[in-house]
Amino acid sequence: MTFSSYAERRGRKLDEVHVLSVPLSRPRRTRVIVSARVVSAVTILVVLAVWALSARLQLVSPVFLPSPVAVWSKFIAVASDGFVDATLLQHIAASLWRVFAALVAAVLVGVPVGLAIGISTVGRGIFDPLLEFLRPIPPLAYLPLIIIWFGIGEPSKILVITIAMLAPVALSTASGVRGVSQERINAALSLGATGGQVVWHVILPSALPSILTGLRIALGAGWSTLVAAELVAATRGLGFMIQSAAQFLVTDVVVMGILVIAAIAFALEFTIRRIERALVPWAGRE
Amino acid sequence: MPRLVLDQVSVRYDGQTRPAVERASIEVASGDFVVLVGRSGCGKSSLLNVAAGLVTPTGGSVTVDGTPIIAPGADRAVVFQNDALFPWLTARENVAFALRLRGVRPSERERRADALLALVKLEGSGDRRIWELSGGMRQRVGLARALAAEPQFLLLDEPLGALDALTRERMQTTLLDIWKESGVGVLMVTHGIEEALVLGTRIVVLAPGPGRVVRAFETGFSRRYLAGEPLRDIKADSVFAAARGELTDAIFEGEAA
Repeated sequence: MTFSSYAERRGRKLDEVHVLSVPLSRPRRTRVIVSARVVSAVTILVVLAVWALSARLQLVSPVFLPSPVAVWSKFIAVASDGFVDATLLQHIAASLWRVFAALVAAVLVGVPVGLAIGISTVGRGIFDPLLEFLRPIPPLAYLPLIIIWFGIGEPSKILVITIAMLAPVALSTASGVRGVSQERINAALSLGATGGQVVWHVILPSALPSILTGLRIALGAGWSTLVAAELVAATRGLGFMIQSAAQFLVTDVVVMGILVIAAIAFALEFTIRRIERALVPWAGRE
Repeated sequence: MPRLVLDQVSVRYDGQTRPAVERASIEVASGDFVVLVGRSGCGKSSLLNVAAGLVTPTGGSVTVDGTPIIAPGADRAVVFQNDALFPWLTARENVAFALRLRGVRPSERERRADALLALVKLEGSGDRRIWELSGGMRQRVGLARALAAEPQFLLLDEPLGALDALTRERMQTTLLDIWKESGVGVLMVTHGIEEALVLGTRIVVLAPGPGRVVRAFETGFSRRYLAGEPLRDIKADSVFAAARGELTDAIFEGEAA
C-alpha cells in the first residue's frame, strides 16, 4: 500500500502535510487487562452465590447441600465444641502430624533413592522398576495389605501416606541429579573433591530446586491419601471427621471438612513456594 | 620444578572411528604459559581434559614429574568457558570451595578467599551472589577459585571465550598478572590468535582430522608485558603483526581454501 492510496482512502489530499505523519500501523487501543486473580475471585464469588441462592430457594434439600451460613456456623461450632470427641483443631493437628511424619519419612527414603537412581546405573536398575510398580497403584488398593501386615495403628496410616509420597520425591530428585551440569562436577573434581564431596557439595545443592518441586507434588499426593488412611480405626483427623459425619448424614460437617482440607492444602502450597524462593533464589537465574 | 608432560597422547572416544587426538606431545613447566590453538575439531579441549585427568587417554602417557595422572586433582585446577561456579554460594564461598574441601577453618578460609578476590581485582564483592555478577566478574571468581586450590598448573579451557572484546582485553592483563604473581604453569586453550600471542610463552598449533600437533612457536610478547611494556604498544609493534601472520598461516595450513 502506498502513502497516496492510504491518504486517499481516508478522503484526504496528499498535499496535506500532516497526512504523511500518520503512521502506517497505528498503535492499537490498549485492551483492558483483567488479571487472572480478579477472574478467580469473581468465579469463587459466583460459585458461592449460586450455592447460597440454591440453599435459600430450597432447590436442594439441606441434607444434600447445606447453606453456606450453616457450614460457617458449623465451622464455628466444631472449632469450639468439637465433633466426635475432638475439636476441629485436634482433628487438624492429627491430620497434619500424619502428613508431616510421612513427608519426613518420604524425604529420608526418597532423596537417597533418587540420588542412587540419578548417579549410578546399578541404583537405577534396582529402584526404577520398584518405583514404576508402586507409582500407579491407588493407595486404597494397598491399604488392606498394610493393615494386615502392620495392624490398624498410627504406623499403618503414616506408611500409606509415605508410600504415596515416595515416588514423586524420588523421581524429582533423580531428574534433578541427572540435570546437574557435567562442567560443575568436573570443576569440583579438579579442585580436589572426592566422589562423596561431589555428591554433598555439588549434586545435592544443584538438585535442590527439583527436590523441592518433588516435595510440593508429594504433599498434594499425601493429602489425597490422607482421607483413605483415616478410613480405618482412626479416632481423630479431618478424613475421619468427614467420614463419621457422612455416616450420620451431617452434611454441613462434611462440606466444612472438605473446605478446611482445601484451605490447608492451599496454605501448604503457598508456604513451600515461599521456602523455595528463600532456599533456591538462584533457580531460573543462572 | 614441576613438569606436566603429555607424551604421544591419543584419545579416541567411544563409538567414534577416528581418534580425536593422535600422538600429541606437550610439555608445561612452572612459569610456562602454553597456549593451544587450532581450528575447531583439532582436539585442543580433549588434550586439556587429558591434562586435567577428566579424560583418560587411549594411548600415550600423562605425567607430573614422572607420576602418571589417573584422576582430576587440585594440583591441576581447571577454569572452564562457562565459569561452572556454584550459584548457591557467594563469590567468597565459591573461591573458598577448595579450602572447604580440605577442612580449612572458616576464618582462615575467608581471609585467603578475600586475598584471592583482591588479586583478581574483585575486592569488596565477596558477599555478592553469582547471578549478580557480570560475565567478566564471574570468570575472575572462577580464576580465584582455581588459584585457591594452590595448583601447580592452571588449565584454562577458553576462559575468555564468552566475554565481549573489551572485557576480554582487560582479563588478558589480569591473567598475565596472576601468572606472574603465582608462578604456576599455565596450559590454555583458545581460538583467539591475538590472544595466543599476547599470553603465551609457547604456542602449540593443532590441526584437525585427527587432532595432532603441527607447529610450536616460542614467543616473548607476554614477557615484554611483564617487563612493563603496555599491551597496546606490543600489539602495535610490527613484529607482533608479523607473528600474527605466521601463526594464522600455520593454523590454516593445509586447509582447502
